[in-house]
Amino acid sequence: MRDSIKKRFYKFVIGFVVILLSVIIIIFNLKDNLVYFYSPTDLKSMPLNINQSIRVGGLVEKGSVEFNKETMKHIFIITDNKHTVKVEFKGILPNLFAEEKGVVVEGKQKNIGTINAHQVLAKHDENYMPPEVIKILQNNGRWQGE
Amino acid sequence: MSLFLSYLGIGLLYTCLLTSVLQITIAKQVNSKLLINSLNLSLVQFISCMLSFLILIYVFLNSDFNFQIVFLNSHTAKPFIYKFSGTWGNHEGSLLMWVLILTIFNFSYSFFSNSNKKLKNMTIAIQSFLIIGFLLFLIFTSNPFLLMDEVPSEGLGLNPILQDPLLAIHPPLLYLGYVGFSLIFSLALAGLIISEVDKSWAATTRPWAFTAWIFLTSGIGLGSLWAYNELGWGGYWFWDPVENASLMPWLAGTALIHCIVVLEKRNTLQSWTILLSILTFALSLIGTFLVRSGILNSVHAFASDSSRGLFILAFLALTLFVSFIIYARNGPSLDQKIEHEFLSRETGILLNNWILLSILFVVFLGTLYPIFTEIVFGSSLSIGPNYFIISLMPFVFILLISMILTPFVGWGSGKFKHIITNIQKPLLLSTALIFSLSIYYEKLSITEISLLILSSTLIASSLKDKFILSKKIFSISTTLGRSLTHAGFGLLIISIIANSAYSTEKIFQSKVNDILNISGNQFVFTDVKQSEAINYNAIQAFFELRKNDKTIEIFTPEIRFYSNPPTVTSETSISHQFFKDIYIVMNIPENQEHINVRIHIKPFMNFIWFSIMMMICGGTVSAITKRRNY
Repeated sequence: MRDSIKKRFYKFVIGFVVILLSVIIIIFNLKDNLVYFYSPTDLKSMPLNINQSIRVGGLVEKGSVEFNKETMKHIFIITDNKHTVKVEFKGILPNLFAEEKGVVVEGKQKNIGTINAHQVLAKHDENYMPPEVIKILQNNGRWQGE
Repeated sequence: MSLFLSYLGIGLLYTCLLTSVLQITIAKQVNSKLLINSLNLSLVQFISCMLSFLILIYVFLNSDFNFQIVFLNSHTAKPFIYKFSGTWGNHEGSLLMWVLILTIFNFSYSFFSNSNKKLKNMTIAIQSFLIIGFLLFLIFTSNPFLLMDEVPSEGLGLNPILQDPLLAIHPPLLYLGYVGFSLIFSLALAGLIISEVDKSWAATTRPWAFTAWIFLTSGIGLGSLWAYNELGWGGYWFWDPVENASLMPWLAGTALIHCIVVLEKRNTLQSWTILLSILTFALSLIGTFLVRSGILNSVHAFASDSSRGLFILAFLALTLFVSFIIYARNGPSLDQKIEHEFLSRETGILLNNWILLSILFVVFLGTLYPIFTEIVFGSSLSIGPNYFIISLMPFVFILLISMILTPFVGWGSGKFKHIITNIQKPLLLSTALIFSLSIYYEKLSITEISLLILSSTLIASSLKDKFILSKKIFSISTTLGRSLTHAGFGLLIISIIANSAYSTEKIFQSKVNDILNISGNQFVFTDVKQSEAINYNAIQAFFELRKNDKTIEIFTPEIRFYSNPPTVTSETSISHQFFKDIYIVMNIPENQEHINVRIHIKPFMNFIWFSIMMMICGGTVSAITKRRNY
């Protein structure tokens, strides 16, 4: 009888340690892969960290979309109507990408005020505005939706 | 006419509501000779919902803009199939379909199943509770039969990205899967209440659980195929919250079907099976809630209404609360301790359950953590796909090992010698094969090589008795289903690894007559044309794949300009060759004389779809075969 209690105790301890270890590994891994979302204004007040992947959202500034033939990069400016961030992106812009529309890009900062995007997020729906962008516009009192 | 149809549609829903209430009141009735019995009532539930759904389809096909839902989601200049599928391409219609499927499962269970009367009546009563809940939601927050004050002459149209044949059948299949698990949930609660969770309960439940699992697997597979064809990113799975929401019930459901098999064979794991049944249905509800509420920051996000999400959340909380109270009262007393040694089939399946639930935990954390931080800290963030890939790798590793070993371990107790004789040949063969391949094809890491070895061992050991050595080839044995699904899973892992290691893509800015080279393939951009269809205009580009100056294949990616609603989409052009897909997508930047072209070479894509089909076939075989020694 005592033996079986001992056995169960060991089983329990081993199980506990295994679960604890995997949870710790998973959570550390989670932390490494978090991508925070910022508005251009947030970025202005932050120290530059060129290794951190981030997302930036806002409106595409009117008349800012260009294409550089030598570097094959799309260049445009994201604005929250207070501050702006310049975006460089090598790739295919999504079809719903347009001037004065909401956009979210993911990438790393190149220097202050410029982000090297590896992804420009597409949305399925022309009425859809990324919730983060709505929040930014609301904070600035520029949101015209409901 | 429209007014009549509107009243009729909603009246039928009320009929179903009343019948469901009646269904609950007769839960204790055992005499089935009466006119009002559970079978007849479930038929009424089913027919009233079906008619209501048919009315909705009818008004969509007729483009009857008296109905708000048709005005908002349809258009006269839309191909027939999308008028049809547009019925469930919106919130109200899809919810009506959800209720319809609840009644379909309810009716087919009461018609086909020969379980005992007590369990049957109780199950149908619980299923009717669920029907009532969703009907109230439908009637009071999302009535599909609302009429317009003024009749517009034209509708707003369906989001063009939903105008795809795959998306016409993907949601119904996914819903059949989600809702299929509602029946398992009802069976579990009914079994708990009448304290009859045993071998015969498992025999009753097994075909239904497999049915739900098959539908869910097909739904996820088709969703993935749609994303690959339509989104134009070259990927088929993005670890996106909406995708994860369907993966979570799949993981729990997979653990569940294994447990039901153990219960049927060995009459053990009662309370664990019940718990998994509740969990799987809860995750189906969470999946629906996440997708419908719009709180997810997803690439698949559509403009949506958060107050509706709240109802699902409240319903989920209530369902879980009631189930756990019943579980706490009756659950623990159900368990029958049956002794088994450490080295036994039971241990193997329990280990597999724990791994599946760990994978579920990883996915759950990664999906809900951003929502949690948003609510608690107000900070927006997202989680990169690397989190999922790195965290899941060790679990997939152990899962494969346990899938290789467990089938060769006996119930109750197993022998090492038996395992070794069975797996040594497959293991040696796969090791030799993969090593020689990996010397030839470089680029593979140690982890990938070992995963490949394990997966091919799994395929070989699953199939070896089935098709190679067996005297009765293709005879349907009880283990054929398992072999097919397990081999399919092995093939899936192999294809995923090979696909991610050898996919290449290249972006070109090109003009007509340009030559594009990507990993040994030569494409010539020959022409651009304009074309018109019933509901869009398109620009088509022509690319010829050439070998030794001979044209092998012509690719025609398109940009479509839809007018209702005004949207631009890119249509991919994909060539499915045996070992690889060639995938071309383009778009036209503003004020440019060039067009942007992206060419992907994606190896093993066919094998991914094929392996999912194998898993579905295996599941089907398992659902329809009868167990021996029972």
